[in-house]
Amino acid sequence: MNELLAIWKGELRRAATSGRVLVLLALFLLFTGLVLGAVGVAMKVVTNQADKALAEAVAKGADPSAAKHELAEQKRKFLSTFTNDEAYVEAVLDLPLVLLAAFKLLTWFVPLFVALMGFDQLSGEVGPKSIRYLVVRVRRSSILVGKLLAQITALLIMLAVGTLLMVGVTRAFHADFEWGAMARWAAKLFLALGLLGVAWACLTALFSALFRTPGVSLVVNIMAILALAFVSSLGGWFRFPGEEAHGMLDTLARSESWAAYLRYASVWHFGQGLLHPDWRQLLGAALAHVGWGACFVGTAQVTLAARDL
Amino acid sequence: MSTPAIRVERVTKQFGPKTAVNDVSFDVQAGHCYGLIGPNGAGKTTTFSMMCGFLSPTSGRIEVLGADASEPGALKKKVGVLPQDAVLPPLWPVGELLTYWGSLSGLEQPEAEARRALERVQLPETWGVQAGALSHGMAKRVAMAQALMGSPPVILLDEPTAGLDPKIAAAVRELIRELKGQHTLVVSSHNLQELEELCDATAILDKGKLVRAASMAEITGKAAEFRVQLAKGSPPLEEIAKLTGCTQALLEPNQILAVHFDSEQVLAEQLITQVVGLLAQRGVLLTAVWRGKRLEERVLALT
Repeated sequence: MNELLAIWKGELRRAATSGRVLVLLALFLLFTGLVLGAVGVAMKVVTNQADKALAEAVAKGADPSAAKHELAEQKRKFLSTFTNDEAYVEAVLDLPLVLLAAFKLLTWFVPLFVALMGFDQLSGEVGPKSIRYLVVRVRRSSILVGKLLAQITALLIMLAVGTLLMVGVTRAFHADFEWGAMARWAAKLFLALGLLGVAWACLTALFSALFRTPGVSLVVNIMAILALAFVSSLGGWFRFPGEEAHGMLDTLARSESWAAYLRYASVWHFGQGLLHPDWRQLLGAALAHVGWGACFVGTAQVTLAARDL
Repeated sequence: MSTPAIRVERVTKQFGPKTAVNDVSFDVQAGHCYGLIGPNGAGKTTTFSMMCGFLSPTSGRIEVLGADASEPGALKKKVGVLPQDAVLPPLWPVGELLTYWGSLSGLEQPEAEARRALERVQLPETWGVQAGALSHGMAKRVAMAQALMGSPPVILLDEPTAGLDPKIAAAVRELIRELKGQHTLVVSSHNLQELEELCDATAILDKGKLVRAASMAEITGKAAEFRVQLAKGSPPLEEIAKLTGCTQALLEPNQILAVHFDSEQVLAEQLITQVVGLLAQRGVLLTAVWRGKRLEERVLALT
């Protein structure tokens, strides 16, 4: 435990003084800001038009609550084009679209961000052999886990800053976004992104343990992220055997196949469940992320323990 | 004989189809300075790396102070290592880096240990310098300092003086001399003169195999022969051979007189004095006398 703590502290200190983490934080904030800005402005235009249409309808004697209900229905329909999960759609209805869009894009960005942050945590020490100064002092497993914990800590700090930024900017676009809802969603988004980030950080540790050259670790890591995304999408293109078709898209484009089970072979598939209102779905998604993370770290440990340094 | 500090037992290491170390066995006695010798590709760095736990043997076993070197964490606090070509993490200030490593080693006062170790290698002024800004020689000495931190009972040094200027190399040799007796030392080096000076015993490797492992006196023959470099004149070989304890006297190329003796019958110093006196009587001029054969000659003959 003392070993882990010492490595964690040392690696955090190194991360704090290295320019890379600051550059990545700036990139992360820039990306988040750009997404929020672009989506926020687009949503503002749409909202203004909707408000204008609502005002005109009310002026013509329409019932304002019926008109608002109609607007909510349109939002529900829009969200339903992305998923058949009605409970999920219901849960995110009160979440401003700008925040939902930023979250969705971040779920794509976080794996890449994590890869850029930690691709050389082990390979960067194995190549120049500086890891030899560590292995005579501590167990290899402590090196792996200590470095991973430091990566996760740095990531969580950055995600906390990013989440606060997202929620704050959303508030600027949506004055009706209440403080209570803001706090609730900030906590949910942070936890979801955090769990997601932990699984991807474990994957990055694996690829950093597999290769001696940091560049190779990074490239293969990114390829793996894309491959896992493909596997998840491939599974999503099919219905499970015996599953009924929902809507026109299912009927026309999604056939029944055992290939639908492929989605479970990818950690990508479980990302949406992290915001699910049903605690069983949420717990399942969280466990899936932790489970995949454990598999990645376990494989990294086996690799590192067996490898010549 | 007491239990050895390091025991290398029938160790083989293969990298794919290539056998880098082949069934090598030797012991390093506690308190000894032990040399690992061999030409490039002999397997000495591979053997050294297995002693440090960097590499795992394909077969066989290496024990350091009774612990299996390939077991995770087995060498903690037991071994200090100067790896040959391991780069110091460039962004760390030297003092913080050594303190960090000291804390990983579980030292109670890592900062004080780090300062002490830097003073031992005469580099206290590098405390706040980034490791990446150090010259090759300074980086080597900082790496040496980290090996000394906590005063581990076993210290393994891979090419400790390679690439150092003569003055610094001499200082490092002096430091190794100071460490002898208090620590068990293993030194891998190409510098045979250095090893001959420093080591009590040595293993000579060639093409992955152990050619010879013995005390330095046995390998160089210091206990059984001496040589005289002649400048002018012919030595009386028959008369020399008749001296008490002398078993053979012969003239080698380059006017070198080789005298072999039985150390149980005569003291080397006594016989050397007699031979030199005899040569002087016969008007033979000489320029040097040395015991045994130079390690370099032995190694060249064996590999």
